[in-house]
Amino acid sequence: MLSTDLRNNVLVVRVEEKRIDASRAPAFKDEMTRCIEAGQNQLVLDLSRVDFIDSSGLGALVSCLKRLGPRGSLAVAGATGAVSRLFTLTRMDRVFALHPDVDTAVEQLSA
Amino acid sequence: MVSSISLSIDSDLDKVSLLARAVRALCEDLLSPEDQDAVELSLVEAINNVIKHGYHGERGKDVQVAVGLQADQVVIEIIDHAPPMPTQVLDKPSEDTFTFDETDIANIPEGGMGLALIRMNMDEVEYHSSESENRLRMIKRIAART
Repeated sequence: MLSTDLRNNVLVVRVEEKRIDASRAPAFKDEMTRCIEAGQNQLVLDLSRVDFIDSSGLGALVSCLKRLGPRGSLAVAGATGAVSRLFTLTRMDRVFALHPDVDTAVEQLSA
Repeated sequence: MVSSISLSIDSDLDKVSLLARAVRALCEDLLSPEDQDAVELSLVEAINNVIKHGYHGERGKDVQVAVGLQADQVVIEIIDHAPPMPTQVLDKPSEDTFTFDETDIANIPEGGMGLALIRMNMDEVEYHSSESENRLRMIKRIAART
């Protein structure tokens, strides 16, 4: 469900599905964990194709952040509508840096 | 205008999005896109809770959803036959769920957010358990058109 692209030492991970819900959260978490365990510690998660995330999806994202630990960073790009509002509502916008698009996020992380 | 419809799925997480999209489509003419999002998220969270916690992920159990479209509100009831939600879950104030310290990464919640999200997204939420069933009733009021 993910595709990856390395840009300026930042791994851009794009979610290729429209929903990250309870049925997809375990697969999402597994694929993200593989990226992290491959040694990537600067990640941008591109959510521009996602139109729905539930609390299971959000929990999987938090779990990835914990896995990454203090050595890394996980930024979010392209969240709009209901996805963006979920981050605000749950105050997860304080936990994940939200960027309007991938370019901005990569620029910030590689600066 | 009052109309109602009952939908049901098997207790399978793969089927929740079908129901969510169906209910969202039913509300399309009545609610703003933001309110449709709120209803869709609340419905998904409620059904996930039933499947994951009520039925412990076991398939082949029934989850029913009754949708009532009224002049001033949308009423959604989720009916299941699992053991009822524990009172300590129901009594936990919603605002506590999201008052974590964002600098303390280890203690940021990964779960237990569903009911709090439902309460934040719907105008009224009630939970009733009887010997035969549990019923979560959620209401979204229709904003007056100006």
